Amino acid sequence: MRLKHGIALLLLVVTAFACSTLTLKPAEYAWPIENALKVDAKGNIIEQRYSFTLNVKPLFFEEFKDSTNYIGKEIRIIRDKAGYYFITSKNFKNVYVFKSIESGMELENKILISELKGLTAPAFNQKAPNVELLDNPNKYLLNYKGLMR
Amino acid sequence: MKSKFYFLIIFVFAFGATLQAQSDYEKTQNFKTRYQQLEAAIKNATSLDECNTISESIAKLKSDFLSDKGLLDNSLYPDNFESSFSKIERAVEIRKGDFTQITELTTEVGTLKDKISTISQENQGLISQIRTLQIRSAKDAQTIASLQKLVAQLKANIQQRDELVRGIVDSLLAQFVQMPNGLNEVEKQNIYTKVDAGNLFFNVERTIADNIQFMKVTQLTPDDLGEMKKQYKDFNKVWRQIGPKLAEVYLNRKDKTAQIANIDAMFADWNFRVNDEMWGQVNKLFREKKIALLQFKSGDQFVNSVSSFVGDEMKNLGVKSTSETENIYYAFTDSVYFKVVEPVWIPILIENNMMTDANKDSIDSYIAKWKEKVAPGTSLNWVYIGGGAVIVFLVIGFFLKGKKKPVTRFDEKKDDVL
Repeated sequence: MRLKHGIALLLLVVTAFACSTLTLKPAEYAWPIENALKVDAKGNIIEQRYSFTLNVKPLFFEEFKDSTNYIGKEIRIIRDKAGYYFITSKNFKNVYVFKSIESGMELENKILISELKGLTAPAFNQKAPNVELLDNPNKYLLNYKGLMR
Repeated sequence: MKSKFYFLIIFVFAFGATLQAQSDYEKTQNFKTRYQQLEAAIKNATSLDECNTISESIAKLKSDFLSDKGLLDNSLYPDNFESSFSKIERAVEIRKGDFTQITELTTEVGTLKDKISTISQENQGLISQIRTLQIRSAKDAQTIASLQKLVAQLKANIQQRDELVRGIVDSLLAQFVQMPNGLNEVEKQNIYTKVDAGNLFFNVERTIADNIQFMKVTQLTPDDLGEMKKQYKDFNKVWRQIGPKLAEVYLNRKDKTAQIANIDAMFADWNFRVNDEMWGQVNKLFREKKIALLQFKSGDQFVNSVSSFVGDEMKNLGVKSTSETENIYYAFTDSVYFKVVEPVWIPILIENNMMTDANKDSIDSYIAKWKEKVAPGTSLNWVYIGGGAVIVFLVIGFFLKGKKKPVTRFDEKKDDVL
């Protein structure tokens, strides 16, 4: 009986090893500085250095319940060490944390910064492993889980 | 006192907090803006001093952002802090080199300008001295010798000055050739500097004017005129290459554009005057022998004049006396055309495209027809042939007579034996 359990356990271990996904670690995704990108007429922002285009119309709808008032607005975006994207803009009350998925980004967290009024001049700094949000004279330290300080 | 101290503490903290609160993005943008301003300043610099000031600004930018070197190393992709400064420092050094070169060229052209001015002043003096001597009614040997010496000196001076001006024009041309796709602002600036420093337009005008003046005050030989024509052609060729390009560079400067147009006109005038002088001298050769050719100023006109004159002479064959007709013919051919015009002038005229080989052949054929009428070769030839035949006959006769004498002696000897 013991022998049977032993063989079953061994098979389970071997199978578990055989089915595990190949993982490359550690990875470092932190951008040295944020980027400030203008939203074009189609609602896209285009990042030149890391070469990607992202449609941010739903973000404006999420924040203002209005997906039409986005043209020419400036989006502040930075990626932290873990690979999450932090996005916000002037008059936003939240910082949105996204993770990369196939052909898009998926919301990971929505961090409320100010209940009463939106951010006046937001800017991100890389403070790996965290991200610093400046909105003079206020400073906040964030990570993908939320507001740290 | 205490309140002041607290105020200072609060100020320092507030200021420090502001500094700390500066966004990395803003810092980078600030750096990039100042960097781009310096790049533009390098491009638009107009002097070596300005470049030196820019070098100081670069050093200041470097020290201002040294504390953010790590941030800039990461954010100035694909450059980094050091490579960005290497680039801009190299750019300013290259620009400094341009100005050093411009300064050298300006000095060089300035020296040429001084030389040109000195020679031009000398030329004016020489021209007035030549005029004074020419006005004297009685020209003794000493006056003539002085005149010749002055003319030779003036000629040498004009040539030397022409070469100096040509030097400036050639160097400009070389610059245009190096930039076949047009000039940028810096290169245009270089051209302005060179043209202004060399007072180029004024000197080209003066060169042409002095050459024309030289023709007026001196009696030029065919060789002198041939040489001057060659000088005109060479200089004009270079000017035709550079003139339109300079006009393009000075498109927005009306005064300079007018000066360039004036130089074009002066070149045309110079050419006209040299041609006029050459044809005038050929005309004069016939007039001096009282041969009334219609005035001509081109190869075709020369042919027409000869054709007309020879035609008239042949028509008047029976009207004028034979001796008068022959005198005119021999004066035309032997004293003028075959003596001076054909050997001296025609090669120069043909070489300078002022007449063609076909023109010369036409003139020769008119003279040949005229010769047949005035001094036909046929009767003359018979006289020569007859005379020659008589001489040959006499010589043969002399030899035959000489050979008969020994035969007589042999007969005599035979008689003696018998």
